[in-house]
Amino acid sequence: MTATVHVVDDDASWRKSVARLLSTVGHRVVQYESAAQFLETAELDAPGCILLDMRMPDITGLQLQQRLAGMQHALPTVFVSGHGDIPTSVLAMKAGAENFLTKPVDTEELLRVVQEAITRDREARAVRRHLDVLRSRVHGLTPTERKVFALVVRGKLNKQIADELGSTERTIKWHRHNLMEKLQVQSLAELVSLAERLGLLGEDDHPNSRSG
Amino acid sequence: MVSAAGALAMSAVLGIVAAPASAAEQEARVLILNTADTSLPGHRVVENAMRASLDSDTTRQVAYFFESIDAYRFSMEALEPELLALFSKKYRALPIDVVVAVSRPAIEFFERYGKQLWPGARVVYNVFSAEYGGRVALPPNLGGVVSYQDVAGTIALARRLRPNPRRIVVVSGASEVERSAAQLAADALSTSANQAPVEFLSGLPLQELLARVADEPADAIIIYLTQYRDRDGRPYTPREVLRAISKISVAPVYGTYETYLGFGVAAGQMESYEEEGRLIAEQVLTALAGGPFDPSHALLKTPNRCIADARALQRWSLDERRLPDGCEIRFAERSLWRRYAWQIAAALAIIAAQTMLIVTLLTQRRRRRVAEAEVRKGLSEVAHMNRRVSMGELSASIAHELNQPLGAIRNNAGAAEILIKAQPPRLEEVAEILADIKRDDQRASDIITRIRSLLRKSDFQVREMDLNEAIEQIVKLLAGEASARGVFIQAELAPGLPKVSADNVQLQQVILNLALNGMEAMHDLRADRRLLTIRSRRANDREAEISVADSGAGIAEESIRSIFDPFVTTKPGGMGMGLAISRTIIEAHRGGIRAENSPEGGAVFHFTLPFASDSLS
Repeated sequence: MTATVHVVDDDASWRKSVARLLSTVGHRVVQYESAAQFLETAELDAPGCILLDMRMPDITGLQLQQRLAGMQHALPTVFVSGHGDIPTSVLAMKAGAENFLTKPVDTEELLRVVQEAITRDREARAVRRHLDVLRSRVHGLTPTERKVFALVVRGKLNKQIADELGSTERTIKWHRHNLMEKLQVQSLAELVSLAERLGLLGEDDHPNSRSG
Repeated sequence: MVSAAGALAMSAVLGIVAAPASAAEQEARVLILNTADTSLPGHRVVENAMRASLDSDTTRQVAYFFESIDAYRFSMEALEPELLALFSKKYRALPIDVVVAVSRPAIEFFERYGKQLWPGARVVYNVFSAEYGGRVALPPNLGGVVSYQDVAGTIALARRLRPNPRRIVVVSGASEVERSAAQLAADALSTSANQAPVEFLSGLPLQELLARVADEPADAIIIYLTQYRDRDGRPYTPREVLRAISKISVAPVYGTYETYLGFGVAAGQMESYEEEGRLIAEQVLTALAGGPFDPSHALLKTPNRCIADARALQRWSLDERRLPDGCEIRFAERSLWRRYAWQIAAALAIIAAQTMLIVTLLTQRRRRRVAEAEVRKGLSEVAHMNRRVSMGELSASIAHELNQPLGAIRNNAGAAEILIKAQPPRLEEVAEILADIKRDDQRASDIITRIRSLLRKSDFQVREMDLNEAIEQIVKLLAGEASARGVFIQAELAPGLPKVSADNVQLQQVILNLALNGMEAMHDLRADRRLLTIRSRRANDREAEISVADSGAGIAEESIRSIFDPFVTTKPGGMGMGLAISRTIIEAHRGGIRAENSPEGGAVFHFTLPFASDSLS
């Protein structure tokens, strides 16, 4: 899938030139003349990144970045500034910027930084997709299997689990076998690591309150 | 006036035919057969001169008849049968001795029907060389007068007055004859030792023509031929077009007709219609005498000579001493001495008695002038320093402004590199890119020009200037700074404001000082409340007023009176010089400056400047 670069800059000729450069090397480019326009119209589903001018009349780039940072799965943001003083660049990086460039930007550097941001976004998306798969597998467990799963990964023995759930060790073993098959893991170690990646560890010690 | 493109301009005469009634003592009949409207001023001059010349010979009585085929305004095809019928009825019992055929259509009409309508008449032709593409070739037994436009001579004259012109612009109409005249001018320019680029403005509608002429630099040369018609067929009076052009052009305008004098033309190798009329009379006499035309004399050329308009020379600062010897200068002020010799002598006696007093007064005045000049020089120095400080404050935002086009240029150049290396190279896109690069480069250089004009260290130079333009320049200069400070600048400029007399740099500096102060005063406001308004308006019949209003907290009442004093400042890091310098500058311009708090909140600074006396009329 072609990466989309969102260029947000109030200067028309800079915007056009950078869009041209990026499309020349094969990126899809969408231009926005203000942060407000970006917030209203941007479609952020495709992989890519945002190239954001620090200084715009209505909402500044920094303010926009702060808003974006609050969103889930934000695209990486590369800041561009007309004059690169250190305080602004520090602010930008603190606000979670992927990178920081100063106009006029060296062409190779610009292309490299944008490419890196896109690559990072793609990687992040791949990880998210994988987690989604794992999550849907967890969703496929029965309520009992989920309870067993929660206790197993907290290091409980089958016997302890059977006591806690008011069941027999044999039944627990059977549930445990089934859930490992559904989650496509071979060992207890893998099971624990999966739970960890999905953030299922350490949040709550009472499996009954988990909604799954 | 009339369509007749060059008809007027053209006047030449040629030849004859057939044997006339030998009529020494008896009345001679001369028919003037014109192509155009005979009431055109040029025709009247030629005709009157011809008649005056013929009538000076009292041995012969001459009767004149006038006809016009009016071919420039009516279709000959439609009118010919009726014209022929009318002419043949009129002249059946009235033998004509000589026909003076004016312009090519009349000559061709005569060639077709002359023998039948006016048997026995000899013909004298009067044509404009451009009607024949510059080469009038007629049978050797004919006599006539040809007029030429001496473009080469006029350009040589123009170069004498102002050597090394940057360009030469030739203005002419769109009628056929005018196009031919323009072509002849082009030929003349290509053969003369001309190195300046030449541009032809042929048949532009008046507004467009004026806009183009207004753009010509002062070191261009404008040659005005005639404009009877524009490319849309709209008719004009050539002299009125000339008057309009001369009025707005900063480049001197030259022309080739004597009748153009007084309509703004500076000078030219000019043809005289009177001389032309006299030559036609000469040819008519030869025809009446029945003698053959001497081949060397068959085709007379209207002579031209150098004539200049003293007032126009002065208007374009052309030095009349550069004119060639023998050049006639018209409209020169006759010296007072020549007109009022004895009155002046008497006055001198009285003046002599007062000399002592005057010398004293002059000395005093000179001292005052020197002192004033020193003050102004001091002001220039201080003002320059203040400008440097202000520009220093702007340097970050200017760098930002400048980096926008520079960044765009860099990106575009990068894209172009990639496109050129593509297989095959994508040259069309590269061409677009180059256009964008040029535009951005222009933008960068405009920014630099604005800065440089303010940083220039210049003496106090008052000239007429457009106030609104000065304000717009400053607003552009401040655009970056305003956006960095989150200030919205709005300019409310009164349209059609007369010009003021001011030093452009210093005036812009005052506006800049007030605007920077205003922006500073809004520092603590919420971003959407920071509004700076710059207004211009007509305060009264004599002055313009400029106001700079901010939406800040206003000025403390106790400071309003002292705010223009040196070293009084309300800004934390301020020197307290900006407003003091602004007041000094405005007072040096004979204006006034004051500050007040607006009822809507915020401070307003108003200053006034007197209108330039010329722009009031």
